[in-house]
Amino acid sequence: MSKVGRRSFLKQLTFGTEKAAPNNGKVLVCIFLRGGADTLNMFVPYADHDYYKQRPTIAIPAPNKSRPNAEASVKLNDLYALHPRLKSLLPIFKSERLAVIQSVGSDNPTGSHFDTQDQIEHGEAYGKIIGGGWIGRHLRAQSSIHQTPLSAVSIGTSVCESLSGAPSVSALDSINEVQLKAVPSESTAIVGALASLYGAEVGLLSQPGRDTIQLLSKVQHLHSDPYIPENGAHYGDDQLSKGLKEIARLVKANVGLQVACIDFGGWDTHFFQGSSEGLQADNITQLGKALTAFDADMIKYHSKVTTIVMTEFGRRTYENGSLGTDHGQGSAMIIIGGGVHGGKVYGEWTGITDQETDLLGPSGLRVKHDYRAVLAEVLTGMLNSRDTDKVFPGFKPSPIGFAPSAKLL
Amino acid sequence: MQSENELALTRRSLLKTAALLGGSLTLSSCEHLVSRVTEHMGETIPDHVSVSTSPEIDPTFHLLSRAAYGAWPGDIERVRNMGAAAWIEEQLKPETIDDGACRMRAGRFESVHLDPGTSFEFKKPVLKEELVRHTLLQSVYSKKQLLQVMCEFWTDHLNIDINKGDCIYMKGSDDRLVIRKHALGNFRDLIRASATSPAMLVYLDGNQNKKAKPEDVPNENYGRELLELHTLGVNGGYSQKDVYEAARCLTGWRVKDKWERGKVYFDPEMHDKGEKCVLGQTIPAGGGEKDLEQLVDIVCKHPSTARHIATKMVRRFVSESPPTRLVDEISQIFIATKGDIKPMVRAILLSQEFKDSSGQKIKRPFQYIVTCLRSLGADTYAHQELVQYLVRMGQGPFQYPTPDGYPDEAKPWLGTLLWRWNFALALVTNKVPSVNVSVEKLAKAIYPNAESEVSPAQLMPHFVGRLASEHEIKTFQKYVSRSNSKDLKLPELVGLILSSPAFQRC
Repeated sequence: MSKVGRRSFLKQLTFGTEKAAPNNGKVLVCIFLRGGADTLNMFVPYADHDYYKQRPTIAIPAPNKSRPNAEASVKLNDLYALHPRLKSLLPIFKSERLAVIQSVGSDNPTGSHFDTQDQIEHGEAYGKIIGGGWIGRHLRAQSSIHQTPLSAVSIGTSVCESLSGAPSVSALDSINEVQLKAVPSESTAIVGALASLYGAEVGLLSQPGRDTIQLLSKVQHLHSDPYIPENGAHYGDDQLSKGLKEIARLVKANVGLQVACIDFGGWDTHFFQGSSEGLQADNITQLGKALTAFDADMIKYHSKVTTIVMTEFGRRTYENGSLGTDHGQGSAMIIIGGGVHGGKVYGEWTGITDQETDLLGPSGLRVKHDYRAVLAEVLTGMLNSRDTDKVFPGFKPSPIGFAPSAKLL
Repeated sequence: MQSENELALTRRSLLKTAALLGGSLTLSSCEHLVSRVTEHMGETIPDHVSVSTSPEIDPTFHLLSRAAYGAWPGDIERVRNMGAAAWIEEQLKPETIDDGACRMRAGRFESVHLDPGTSFEFKKPVLKEELVRHTLLQSVYSKKQLLQVMCEFWTDHLNIDINKGDCIYMKGSDDRLVIRKHALGNFRDLIRASATSPAMLVYLDGNQNKKAKPEDVPNENYGRELLELHTLGVNGGYSQKDVYEAARCLTGWRVKDKWERGKVYFDPEMHDKGEKCVLGQTIPAGGGEKDLEQLVDIVCKHPSTARHIATKMVRRFVSESPPTRLVDEISQIFIATKGDIKPMVRAILLSQEFKDSSGQKIKRPFQYIVTCLRSLGADTYAHQELVQYLVRMGQGPFQYPTPDGYPDEAKPWLGTLLWRWNFALALVTNKVPSVNVSVEKLAKAIYPNAESEVSPAQLMPHFVGRLASEHEIKTFQKYVSRSNSKDLKLPELVGLILSSPAFQRC
């Protein structure tokens, strides 16, 4: 063994496995829009007349064609334009850090939010149960990286299903909340006793008990530092913004964060969804602002952080009798990150399908890309994973091209 | 005579308490009086409380953990004396149970008794607070415990989020006239009541489902959830066409939004008058509002519905992996009785599978908080500070956003441990505002003759229905020996028991 070789070998031992980690401090942020987001009104196919024909009330006007009470969309390319409330994403798109993938979806035929969300979070084909969530399996496959309760974080009160089966995971609203409050003088002794009680557990409670105790000690030093976002990033007061701010804080605190998941609900717009203004526009505003603030705040970490925005299915192409849209199929996914080949809308535009054939099943946009193809490309291209066959067993992803192809060692 | 005695006692204690009133910061004076009165009505810690002496979970304790929100101090003796089967029969006839003490706490919220029209005169936050407190207080104090447990079950099954739109104005009457009225009644009646409950019509857009013009397409939201969640289940054998046809049957049901606001009516002009076909059965054209009755009949009689409901009930009462034999039995009862809920509950609670399942479920936050309060015999009026703990653990009553209701599985709730520990420690040290507990009084009731202070291991059986294990005893001993505090306080030790894995289970 050469001198250099031995030194680096010893160094690896000293610093433990984290230094040898193949993912090199990469972080995945996964935002799930619950309820089946109508992405057709977010990435508006303004050049397709059928879009306006099928959505006489709720369509978003083409760029420079505003109507009274309906602001025009913001041009991305010759086919697509952004919902006006997503305008702040345009600079990120133009600087090629943001890609949109159109016509993504699953093979789930039920039209059920819950069944489809479950399938997607589990990373399965319809009816083929694998066990655990797709991110859980991804983290399991990264066996060389030391996992702590802050390796995988679910923002909110419960652990989202995609993290199920992860070696270690925490659900938290804010880092400041993570402490034993009631009897400070006894805290150490109480934590010791709880560690002993949960340490002896063998069932379901065992891992969450140990994770919680580890988490308590890990975040202690973070409580005292007030968090100041960088680069003029301005986070709103909504749940998504607050959550992304906590994620930014964890990224910068260098506590080993690998994956953070956050839910954003309220996209099930069967009724009165609105157009440039209205119920859906309110959600879109929050989404746009939160993504923009996070992107600004992460300026020094663009090469490390990848953000996915996804939903369980898109909605019908046509509006229903109550000025909303019912459950559909294909939707658009957003990928943001320094390594993304952005500034493009990927995926084929299949056109808006014939209404008659759509009435009797969850239809809408045809699915051209299995959702797992997008996720697998993020894992290989952005997180340097070489284990997508373990994450999506039996699935052969066809490349889409928004991520650099994985470097082979 | 009994009631006169009670009254006499009550008046005397009222006067006595009035004289003693003064310095309390947490409860209002009115609440103090109510606490004294209800104490005399039996809502207190009895002088003697017996605990399990077995290393296995006591069967009576197990029954009360699942069919009730745990045992109030003294419940175990009462149920043991009357016998489990007799207790179940008593609980299946809630109308025969006197619930006077609970009514004094939970019955005073005016808004929960109103019809939707009148409730519009209240502010949303008031309605929300009263409805949530009403539910929480009934779960803690009602003697009709099984009814409360079933109300929670159906509230999840027919979930309505009070934060959506105007739902809060109507959820009070939905709770009263749909959930509570039919919780131990007939399943078809429950679904029929829910289908035209104003809160449900608003929550799942049934109110917006119309065919006024030829080109109008139905709003499928409620029709889909009726099949997927409320009756057949997602793999129950319906097609997307059935969803569409069900939605057509349901067109035309409206909620008034001006005059007689909140009242439900059928508008034939908004109804799809054509022939429909749901699950292979034809609903002839021109049925009008009868389409809804036929649809409810078709979906409630479908064998998948029997199985779906049986599976959910067995999952709630017995196990996350519902034993097939029991699910078969319960679906047979559903079919034979046309959806009579009582015999299904009875058969589950008397089954061998139920007996064999003790300690295998994990409490959800609501159940955790209520069992903490009941096992300590707590005095509370469920003010916002208490409700906030539930909200932070992700289970504020009537606040689940999507129609599938709070998950029954343990997994989604496993991230709440820290909050459970914080709640338990705050509760036992009387740091949850407006909740009073007396750990010392409870310890004295369990060990009336103890000469020195009792140890946590000795108290454990009261909370978990079995003796402390060797490992638990060792842990408690170690805690006692290394704790900072010179004179050890019993409350923290009880807090540790409530934080332990054993108390998370039921």
